[in-house]
Amino acid sequence: MKPDRPDGTHYGASPPTRRDFFSRMVDGLHGTALATLLAGDLLSTNLARGASADPASGVHDLTPKTPHFKARAKSVIFLFMNGGPSQVDTFDPKPALDRYAGKTPTMDLATDLASPEANGGILPSPFKFTQHGKSGLWVSDLLPHTAECVDDLAVIRSMYGEHFNHVQALFLMQTGRTIATKPCLGSWVTYGLGTENQNLPAFVVLDDPKGFPVNGIANWQSSFLPALYQGTRVHSEGAPVLNLEPPSEIPASIVEAERTLLSRMDEAHRRARPQEPDLDGRIAGYELAARMQLAASKVLDVSKESTATKELYGLNDPVTESYGKRCLMARRMVESGVRFVQIYMEKIVWDSHSDIVGGHGQCCARTDKPVAGLLKDLKQRGLLDETLVIWGGEFGRMPVAQVSNGAPPGRDHGPSGFSIWMAGGGIKGGTVYGATDELGHKAVEDRVSVQDFHATVLHSLGLNFRDLTYERHGLRERLTEQFPARVVHEVFS
Amino acid sequence: MLARIRISLSVPLLAGILAGVAWGAPPATFESDIKPILDTRCVLCHGAHAPQADLDLRSLESLLKGGKSGPAIVPGSAGGSILVEKLVTETMPPVDPKLSADEVATIRGWIDAGALSAERESSALVTENDVLPIFQVRCLVCHGKREQRGGLDLRTRASRLKGGKSGPALVLGKPEESLLIQRIQSGAMPPVKMQFDYAVRPPSSAELGKLKQWIADGAPAAPPATREAPKITAEDRNFWAFQPPKRHPQPEVQREDLVRNQIDAFLLRKLDSQNLTFAPEADRLVLLRRAYLDLIGMQPTPAEARAYMADTRPDAYGRLIDRLLESPHYGERWGRHWLDLAGYADTQGFGDSNEPRTFAWRYRDYVIRSLNNDKPYDLFLTEQLAGDELYDYKKAEPVTQEVVDRLAATGFLRTTPDPTNGVGRRFIHDRLNVISDEIEVLTSSVMGLTIGCARCHDHKYDPIPQRDYYRFSAILQTAFDLHDWLTPSQREVPLAPAEEMMAYSAHNEPLEAEIETLESSLEEQAEPHRKKLLEERLEELPEGLRADLRSVAETPAGRRTELQKYLAENFKATLDASIGQIMAKAPAFKRAVEPAQKEIRELKGKLMPKPIVHVLMDAGGEPSGAFVYRRGDPMLPAEPVEPGVPTVFDGTIEPYEITPPLSGVESSGRRLALAKWLTQPDHPLTARVWVNQVWMRHFGRGIVESTGNFGRSGVPPSHPELLDWLATEIVRQGWSTKTMHRLMMTSTAYRQSSSRHSDASRVDPENTLLSHFPLRRMDAETLYDSVLRVTGRLDDDIFGPPVEIEIKPDREVIAKGKKDGYRRALYVTQSRQTPLSMLAAFDFPQMTPNCTQRQHSTVATQALELMNSEASWSHAKYMAGRVVDVAGDEPRKQVEEIYWRALSRPPTEDEMTDALETVQVLARQWSAEVEKEHTATPTAWTARWLSLATLCHAVLNSAAFSYID
Repeated sequence: MKPDRPDGTHYGASPPTRRDFFSRMVDGLHGTALATLLAGDLLSTNLARGASADPASGVHDLTPKTPHFKARAKSVIFLFMNGGPSQVDTFDPKPALDRYAGKTPTMDLATDLASPEANGGILPSPFKFTQHGKSGLWVSDLLPHTAECVDDLAVIRSMYGEHFNHVQALFLMQTGRTIATKPCLGSWVTYGLGTENQNLPAFVVLDDPKGFPVNGIANWQSSFLPALYQGTRVHSEGAPVLNLEPPSEIPASIVEAERTLLSRMDEAHRRARPQEPDLDGRIAGYELAARMQLAASKVLDVSKESTATKELYGLNDPVTESYGKRCLMARRMVESGVRFVQIYMEKIVWDSHSDIVGGHGQCCARTDKPVAGLLKDLKQRGLLDETLVIWGGEFGRMPVAQVSNGAPPGRDHGPSGFSIWMAGGGIKGGTVYGATDELGHKAVEDRVSVQDFHATVLHSLGLNFRDLTYERHGLRERLTEQFPARVVHEVFS
Repeated sequence: MLARIRISLSVPLLAGILAGVAWGAPPATFESDIKPILDTRCVLCHGAHAPQADLDLRSLESLLKGGKSGPAIVPGSAGGSILVEKLVTETMPPVDPKLSADEVATIRGWIDAGALSAERESSALVTENDVLPIFQVRCLVCHGKREQRGGLDLRTRASRLKGGKSGPALVLGKPEESLLIQRIQSGAMPPVKMQFDYAVRPPSSAELGKLKQWIADGAPAAPPATREAPKITAEDRNFWAFQPPKRHPQPEVQREDLVRNQIDAFLLRKLDSQNLTFAPEADRLVLLRRAYLDLIGMQPTPAEARAYMADTRPDAYGRLIDRLLESPHYGERWGRHWLDLAGYADTQGFGDSNEPRTFAWRYRDYVIRSLNNDKPYDLFLTEQLAGDELYDYKKAEPVTQEVVDRLAATGFLRTTPDPTNGVGRRFIHDRLNVISDEIEVLTSSVMGLTIGCARCHDHKYDPIPQRDYYRFSAILQTAFDLHDWLTPSQREVPLAPAEEMMAYSAHNEPLEAEIETLESSLEEQAEPHRKKLLEERLEELPEGLRADLRSVAETPAGRRTELQKYLAENFKATLDASIGQIMAKAPAFKRAVEPAQKEIRELKGKLMPKPIVHVLMDAGGEPSGAFVYRRGDPMLPAEPVEPGVPTVFDGTIEPYEITPPLSGVESSGRRLALAKWLTQPDHPLTARVWVNQVWMRHFGRGIVESTGNFGRSGVPPSHPELLDWLATEIVRQGWSTKTMHRLMMTSTAYRQSSSRHSDASRVDPENTLLSHFPLRRMDAETLYDSVLRVTGRLDDDIFGPPVEIEIKPDREVIAKGKKDGYRRALYVTQSRQTPLSMLAAFDFPQMTPNCTQRQHSTVATQALELMNSEASWSHAKYMAGRVVDVAGDEPRKQVEEIYWRALSRPPTEDEMTDALETVQVLARQWSAEVEKEHTATPTAWTARWLSLATLCHAVLNSAAFSYID
């Protein structure tokens, strides 16, 4: 027997259909608003955004769209490891580092160092790598829990970026460009596919209660895409969504009385102005806001989860509790039809310029168990197949030691080659794709650019990166712009 | 000799490169053009894992090596290449889709041109073009225009050969003997210590290889640039938007009685053809509300509405428009529109940096003042592009508001995110992004062109070759020079109107004097401790050094010998002792000075920031030179270019011509020439783009719907003759924008009712023909400001520094209010990172980099914001209080007052009944609630007030409030 969905509906063998979605909506909606939503939905070509959509006509909604081709994943959970995890200490073992320990780096390696004055020579990984699972994938002892899931992971070891600063590199990973002015991946996805549950935000950002990642809200901006595709911050502590509830001093009976008055006023206003779809949409918006209050509170309340589940995510341990809670919330959300969930840590926690052992050790202690818990939980619920889970940061780190003020050695930013992994959503588990050079500095084999990565994520969702376009100033914008990009088919099963 | 041989050997290759470079189209290379095709279409089978037929198509080397059937390609001969044969015969790929004709042509062209790769191409013949960017990016910051460290200038062949104090930088033909190479190889240059601060990185080994080869070849100059004129056809030039507007005669229409001015005639002409006509005139009060919201962005007060209704003169409506155009709030409303186009923000705003742009508001105020004064649009533009080139601000005496305004006007091209104040954020690509953003702001807002598309390649739709992008960008190069970069802090001019300067001095001088006294007393107290600390530190150093260092410490910086300077630089850590360091060492001292330090901090907190203006002005001197950058990459310069405007306008209007600006103004005049070129009366775009913007903001959509793109990929105008008539009319009227408002708003078209008739919905569902006035929702600021005005909480001060924002614990972003109210949204700090939550919910643009047209979304978060936010309830309660102040205890009067305030009309009888009944019900519920709270205020009164507040809250949430008929 599968568990119930977080929003109370039964979790059947098949994923929720569009009919489910509408039947779930009917009870709370007035006839007219529903009719509009239905009509809008049925009249629209109902294809993913692209050649057929006409954004200039100004009607945008979040109703589910059919992808360009058969999707492997329905939702995405992007576990963003801001700060830049070191590839040579996690997923990309480099025995050569031991051979060259302490040696002066080559010129090309030195060119890539952001702080050349702190160059401390080649630094072998202080962590021990072992093979895991049936696939024998290498993982360091920093990530013992993730190591248990390797047969579900495809590790890409040949990612490369364009910039060695957090700000630009983060923009690159999120938007495909190093500048602040482009829509992010999550916005493109929700623009392309809408979302399955209209009572919840389509694109959710679970940021760390300890603080924003670098670039703050710009990480989930829709930029020139309409604002409804922007990420919605959901807080894992306190009120989950801004203004979800009226101020506490306004009693429920008053709220109810006001709502009825308002709907009488708006109905009269609308009756006097027939054939204005925007007014129908507005009334629907008010009704949905009221419903979101219920749905969101229910979905985001993890307290009713079983003890076993809570422990799986590490909610019983203060070290893993915070990240674990966000992972668990993420599962509950994709289960309820949220399209894209992005989890961040605060600031640039992975940025271990000094003390790689301590810094990375702490990050892994906080996230490893929850991440593995999420993968296991998704799998046991049969959700992993339709959820693409991504783990990675804005760059990797250098194989060279960075030393300063007598602190234990760390590593500087390394955008030229780094590792990320994907799981679920049609990904072929136990895969290693691409390679860095002997020292783990530059991606050299089967190099994967950020554009390739984006194209691959879209592919998993049934979207062709060339056809997911938005017309602006009469021109077709796309996530990968005009840059060459390719889908990394090799990571799919 | 050697060099010549090499060149002759490379001729075919060179020709290939040059042919490709002709006007910007870069030669195809394996990496950029071919690999993407092969990777997506071929390597699945011909890749790493068991390549079919042993053929691996992932690299150029493996292509040349080939598979079972031999090499896949023969460079120089597409016809002889198996790869091409397989493609054209469509035997490969074996499954559909086959490669497109374009893709095959790209591959053929690439093979015929010699199958270039990025590496091979550069190793073929290294010329000045290849090494110049290495010098520019890695060396010139210290050995160029601003500084010639060690007496070395690496900008020209002559200066490199001349060298610096250590001798010539180059020994031609002998790279290993050249100082340049030696210093780079030894790691001495660029100096490790300075790299980060100077945003310089050392050359890569590939670049070093290039430099060596170039020296070995005798340092060849750049190949002669081919100056073939871009191929722009007559058809390109004849596209409507590239031809001057033509003034068409007023057309004849069926209903002459509906024609109030030419606008109506042009519109009716099209309606006639569809058997449609205008809707009847809107109700007077509807029109009143529409006009107020359009022109000043706020609704009329009940008194204003009643006064208007009492005005029975036939020209009452025209007078109303005149009155509103004279209101200072007009400039705020329309200034906001312009700030959208400019992409205004009060922060540098990049990434997580919310560093304030402290005096950006001077530009905002300049815009408001200019619009209020109906400054002719041509002058308005000229000041914003080249205000600094119009007059000599340094000699201006006295410094008036006007003087400051002209300089502040150049803030137009200083709006975009600019991170380059930050160390580590001013690398070449960061600067390039600033420039391209500014070009986008300028071209999308003023020219309606998408020139930015031509940054990396020729424009796909419009006749804008890549070369034109770089010619256009060269106009700005004297101000934005990639290789002579000014950070935002370096673009500040200390200037303010005399009065403001005096107020600033009067405020700061006494504070500064006080700080100085405190600080010098602090220093005096610190002196013995500092000496002691120095002695302690000297103890740790070899004895021989101590006396010398002691003497350095005792000699003021200005009077030190060379040796002492050297020691000071190298023993900074020993010699420098900050107050903080001393405090850490000497607890007694710490205790003694802490109060004084606190006082200093407090005094400093009271200081006003030094008045400055954020400007765009020339950096001075010769710019570094402009080139076409292949693929938009500054490391790949191709032919040099001169400043210029898009070639497609050549011969149609007056050319772009640089004349030196006024005597005394040290500026190139490039931007002033652009302003002159743009503001010529028959410019095909300037007037059209502006009247179209004005039209869109009155009628909901532009005559050209794609307001930022008048090019071939834009939407053609719905009424081309009307657009041209308006464009010529604004010029005739001395570029007066207010004349345009008057024309548009007094037309019958504007005065129509917003009710649709069913015929129109069928024939013209989008209402492109304007058979009724479009129903619109208030935009973010109109809603925000209107709520403030309606509730009686508006502080209607104009101008000045922005209001601070506050981020509440639930992360709602609100504006800080004062006792007398809240200022309009336009005056609240515009931060890209933390926009007001209310504005963000209603599609306030993210300014990335600007906004030529607002988005419009209808989503549930808007309802959450208006229904549930603390602010919405606080406003409603405040409004209820003011309603009672005016209407007293009488419930009918209260409801009437609410309707007049919020909706500018009396309630209907049904509405009145509903409101009265609801208030009664609410009052009962509130009574019960208030009783529970045991407040000091009388229960019944409080409950009545709260129930009235609830009614206000509902009305402010109603569609009737936020929609404009």
